[in-house]
Amino acid sequence: MSDQTPDVELATSVQEEMETADIVQKYELEAPPEKVWRAIAIPTFRERWLPDHDLAQAEPVAVIPNEEILFRLRDDAPPFLESVVQFQLQPISSDRTLLTIRQRLADGRLASRDTWAANSNEPVMMLAA
Amino acid sequence: MVMVENDIFKALADPTRRAIFEKLADGRMNASSLRNGMDISQPAMSQHLAVLCQAKLVRQERQGRFVNYEVDPDGLALIAGWLAKYRAYWPARIDALKTLLKDMDQ
Repeated sequence: MSDQTPDVELATSVQEEMETADIVQKYELEAPPEKVWRAIAIPTFRERWLPDHDLAQAEPVAVIPNEEILFRLRDDAPPFLESVVQFQLQPISSDRTLLTIRQRLADGRLASRDTWAANSNEPVMMLAA
Repeated sequence: MVMVENDIFKALADPTRRAIFEKLADGRMNASSLRNGMDISQPAMSQHLAVLCQAKLVRQERQGRFVNYEVDPDGLALIAGWLAKYRAYWPARIDALKTLLKDMDQ
């Protein structure tokens, strides 16, 4: 039970933060949720559509297996603003998946509204890929 | 300049401030003209204007004993640029993801 508690807290904080996302986009993908999950969560697959050089770090900020994964992004143009993106998967059917993308600015240089810095000390669940 | 990015979103998250900002988008105004047609006290208006100024969305200009407020074009350009870039970025990434999904084994 003890190793479950941080995940619940993390999921709750993620949900609260992402309610104020600056960009929200939804996509229907013609693939089962498990397959979409692998395409996002396994680095060699992810690199093929979301390259490392667009990320602030290759490792995800937070992971809820098969449901949600968060990455930190860094803009490639000055002032190189950092943001956090959340990919959330919901099954539509056995071979269709709804992917919701939520992105918000979360730059360490910004004092207000940046609670992601506080979350960075949270244990991040390792991928069971 | 970078420091204000998050303040911009926060400032516009409030419906009253968004209404004030939209009024100013039509042209510069002083605080009492801004209050016309709005159910808002003078101290509350001052506070909202202070938040908008701090976010660099609005700037103030003193003329004698009057203070006019107007939209700050620099703050707007920054935020519009960031949003426009990533709104266009994700559809392109998703096209690449769809290609990958076709290539992957089940």
